[in-house]
Amino acid sequence: MLEKSKDVTLLLIEDDDVDAMTIERSFLKQRIANPIIRAYDGIEALELLRSRDITRPLVILLDLQMPRMGGLEFLKELRADENLLDLVVFVLTTSKSDEDMLSSYRQHIAGYFVKGEAGENFLDIVNVLDSYWKVVHLPG
Amino acid sequence: MVEELKSGEQRNKLIHAGQMHLVHWLIIFLSIVLTFSAWYYSKSQLNQKLEAKFQRNAEQVVNLVKERMGLYENALWGGVAFIDSVDNDITYTQWLAYSTSLKIDLVYPGINGIGIIYNVQLDQMADYMAKQLALRPDYSLHPNHQESEYWPITYVEPAAPNKKAIGLDMAFEANRYSSIKKARDTGQAQLTAPITLVQDAKKTPGFLFYTPFYQGGRKPENIEERRKSIVGVTYAPFIMKNLMQGTLAEQNRHVSIQISDAGELLFDDNSDEGTQDIDTNPLFSKEVDAELYGRVWKFLIQSNLSFREESTSNQSSFILIGGLTIDGLLLGLFLFLSRANRQALLYADEMTVALKSKTKHLEKSNSDLEQFSYIASHDLKSPLNAIKQLVGWIKEDCQDILPEDSKKHLNLLSQRSQRMMKLLNDLLDYSRINRDEFKNERVNLNDLSQDILQLLDIPQSFTFSAPDIDINIPQAPLEIVLRNLISNATKHHDKKSGHIVLSYDSNIEFHTFVIEDDGPGIPEEFHDKAMEMFQTLQSRDKVEGSGMGLAMIKRIVEHYQGSIAIDSDGERGTRVTIKWRLNTQ
Repeated sequence: MLEKSKDVTLLLIEDDDVDAMTIERSFLKQRIANPIIRAYDGIEALELLRSRDITRPLVILLDLQMPRMGGLEFLKELRADENLLDLVVFVLTTSKSDEDMLSSYRQHIAGYFVKGEAGENFLDIVNVLDSYWKVVHLPG
Repeated sequence: MVEELKSGEQRNKLIHAGQMHLVHWLIIFLSIVLTFSAWYYSKSQLNQKLEAKFQRNAEQVVNLVKERMGLYENALWGGVAFIDSVDNDITYTQWLAYSTSLKIDLVYPGINGIGIIYNVQLDQMADYMAKQLALRPDYSLHPNHQESEYWPITYVEPAAPNKKAIGLDMAFEANRYSSIKKARDTGQAQLTAPITLVQDAKKTPGFLFYTPFYQGGRKPENIEERRKSIVGVTYAPFIMKNLMQGTLAEQNRHVSIQISDAGELLFDDNSDEGTQDIDTNPLFSKEVDAELYGRVWKFLIQSNLSFREESTSNQSSFILIGGLTIDGLLLGLFLFLSRANRQALLYADEMTVALKSKTKHLEKSNSDLEQFSYIASHDLKSPLNAIKQLVGWIKEDCQDILPEDSKKHLNLLSQRSQRMMKLLNDLLDYSRINRDEFKNERVNLNDLSQDILQLLDIPQSFTFSAPDIDINIPQAPLEIVLRNLISNATKHHDKKSGHIVLSYDSNIEFHTFVIEDDGPGIPEEFHDKAMEMFQTLQSRDKVEGSGMGLAMIKRIVEHYQGSIAIDSDGERGTRVTIKWRLNTQ
């Protein structure tokens, strides 16, 4: 189990450097050793995934408001891709709007986090993720 | 919705008033009918009056003629009486004296003379002529005729104008002869049918008037006796035209007269060329048959021009013209009123359209503003968050190497970011306050206040009291109001402990909340300023605050058609009174 959880990679799709750094710092602080791969927007993330430079098992943490390709658009592409539609995605955004949340869940996300409510330094999210991949079996 | 219905009703009323209705037309129609009835009535009244007047005039004319004839009859009977009173035959001088004493010219206008005609049988003729010639050598009978008796005019006075008549034998002509015989046979005064007098140079119609006298002044009872004892007749010749002078003259009448006897014209105003008064289309006309001494005179009486002139009254025309003028004015008034109403409607519609577009504009700019402040505060928050994060990391990572001053500066930096975050959050709240409409809920004031106290983390040293009652009010906005008021009261308190009291009252219109504290108070000159957006009365470094609290309360309360009032002397204690309109929903 422990062996397995160490293998899980976090793909962080986030245009804000500080937010990305916050996650990375929290990982360090909580002594979570899982690798974090960062993409700045949807397009870059799709390229990464399709090039298979990234190893599975994989969990994606996705921002909605991004330049070039936003989170909702990315989700649509992802679910349309035969090879990628099984990936687990969490959304992390500033938007509290119901419309954004509903649209996200329609694309089968695993959870929807709002940045302002995610606790000091996103620690709540980081803890959830850590617990999540310790107990959940993910597709290889 | 109700207002809209009401204004729709009022608009319909205006539309209604802007049209001419059956009732308007009915009023006009009735008033026209009334006008014509009044006109007709007054006209017929006038006509009746005129007709009565004409009848009077006509009667008067006939009576005047009869009266005058009666006067002449008397004069003739007077002659008969005079003859009867004299035993022997009347002499010329005696008759002259009699006729002169009558003063014919003055007393009997219209009469041409008065005279005596004797009945002379064939065998008496020589004797008669001898008697006459003895006194008047130039006396002669004329003209010749075939009758077996003579009725010569013996005397007639005044003699001069009647010269041609003296000696004229009445038996020469049918009209004169038959009437004289009738006078003899009846013993009554008799008129002849129309004749032309020999003494009338103009040959106009005239007649003779006979009264018979008998032997010895007797008045015989039967025809035989009368025929046997007849002596003669007193007579008067008349020229009809002269008879109609004086009071019967045309200028004294309002009627024109035509008199005929058995179809023969005796008198006619029309035949007189000097006449001005004949009315070719007379208003009234009447025929009267008058029996006059054995003749029947037919009077054709017609109203003449002077009658028309005198009777022409404009009264009914005035009624008609006046009435129609009033009707016209009435119609004009109705049209004017309905036009005015239509214009008012048009104006109201224009104003409504203008108002609607203005309202729309206002609503749009309002929602734009809300949208703007929402987005602005939203997007401003994320870089601020980043700053806060970074400051935190620097403090964490460089705890050992940073000089004390820099640590202090970093603290200030995070404190200011915190304050800005609060400002943005409050701005966000402020912009969203009245976005949602809240329904009335049952709210317990004490429970609500306790929840707020817990949330605000008020120090234990502060006491708070609120009434334990339930009211019906939208809970969410009330909570914002109370939270800000309680927060203000504790935050700005200058002592370690204090006392805050919430009291409540209501009337038919308003909820009234009063929050009293024993803090430092607000000087009166700052009461208005306190309620402005972003205004604080103390440095934010001393008391943390965005300056939005009272502004937010004011916005909410005014949304619910209420008011906020601050009551404080600036030395001790503040009393804030909130009025909140009761919603009947």
